[in-house]
Amino acid sequence: MIEKIKASKSEKVILIFIVTLAIFFFGSFFLIKDKCLFVKNYDPLKITFDNPKNIAILNVTCGNVIIELYPNISPNAVKRFKQLINTKSYDDVAFHRVIKDTLVQAGDLEFGKKGNLNYGKIGTGKSGLGTINSEVDTPFNFDKGSVGFARGQKYNTEDSQFFIILRDEPLYETEYTPIGKVIYGLEALEKIKYLDKSQYVLRPDFINSLRMLVD
Amino acid sequence: MSLIRLIILSLFIFTQTQADTIYNLIKIPNLEIYDIKTPNKLRYLYAKQPFTLGVEKNINCYNSEKKILDQKYKIIKKNLNRYSQEFLKKINLKYIVLCEDLSISNINTAGIPDHIMKTLILDIKFNEDYFERVIHHEVFHIINDSFKKLFDEDVWSKFNVKEFEYAECSTCTDKLGLDTYTNTNGFLTEYSRSTASEDMAEVFSHLMIGLNLDSLDPILEKKIHFIKTNLLKIDETFIL
Repeated sequence: MIEKIKASKSEKVILIFIVTLAIFFFGSFFLIKDKCLFVKNYDPLKITFDNPKNIAILNVTCGNVIIELYPNISPNAVKRFKQLINTKSYDDVAFHRVIKDTLVQAGDLEFGKKGNLNYGKIGTGKSGLGTINSEVDTPFNFDKGSVGFARGQKYNTEDSQFFIILRDEPLYETEYTPIGKVIYGLEALEKIKYLDKSQYVLRPDFINSLRMLVD
Repeated sequence: MSLIRLIILSLFIFTQTQADTIYNLIKIPNLEIYDIKTPNKLRYLYAKQPFTLGVEKNINCYNSEKKILDQKYKIIKKNLNRYSQEFLKKINLKYIVLCEDLSISNINTAGIPDHIMKTLILDIKFNEDYFERVIHHEVFHIINDSFKKLFDEDVWSKFNVKEFEYAECSTCTDKLGLDTYTNTNGFLTEYSRSTASEDMAEVFSHLMIGLNLDSLDPILEKKIHFIKTNLLKIDETFIL
């Protein structure tokens, strides 16, 4: 006759602990691997926009980021941005400067293209179209999701690089030229690759595509 | 010993990139926003901790108690509100940094203007007697630096008597007195005699706080005319 041995209380606790540990281990393995797991991907065709001519769709690793452009605030900057979008210049361009929970910056068309990255010069590249004047006089709230043109130390040096802020930056008003605001999909930008010790990213994430909703 | 090294190394490794917007904009560390909702769009920042600047780290300033900061801010704001947003834009002044015991190479100073970075650092504990005047004095240095050609030092120097010569720099002289002379004789204060630029700044600051124009000597009258004329070239709406 085989005697049935009951597990002691401490054995049960250990078993539960091991099972929980295993669940966490395998669960986190999949969660860590897929950084876009909980990021909602917005389909612009299913959204109604007041002014579709000023809607730009930035497609990144974790989905679509839908940006409303403000030509009334910065006519020249928006014109340049649309020009570069329409020539597909931003496709395969790196998010070369990323500060966690603060901003992502991309748009170096000369040194930031996939397959032609130049880590020594990235951030200094030009579009070949020349610089445009800063448009900083119209009041604008640089709150989370705002999109602006990057520039050098001096005003009137905007070219093709742009940034999107991931937190409110009130000091940016009158410093940077606003282009627009992210209205859907900011979460996808929060997953863009960053480094802990540097603003400039080694092996960065890239823009898949940037298109106007209406050509 | 190796344990200490390990701790230091791990601190370095785990130190994250700081998202310091103010530092990125004006290259001064340890600052926080004090007030940015101002009528002329000046942004007031204060030292949260002491900071050191310069290639040789020779500029130092310290944080203040909140009570003193609040008290001095009212005075500073009242004075700087006299400059319009348009004027400030023309002279390239946007950020006012408030701190105390400001010094360059261990020499105490009331302010450090930097028109390139659009910044004026102000020592909020500088001499109480002349505090308001000193604010305008430092603003003039921003104006002067932004419009060097207008405020030509050679032209200015010729207003003085032939025998007079300014010192090489404002810190290479012991002429530092800020009391206003009763007998002006071409200069408003002892400090005016240090350099042409300081002389101009003294005239400007006295005009801003309301100089008694009844008993002026001919040299000062020319200097005042020079300052007023050139300010109107920068901004025709500027009121002294």
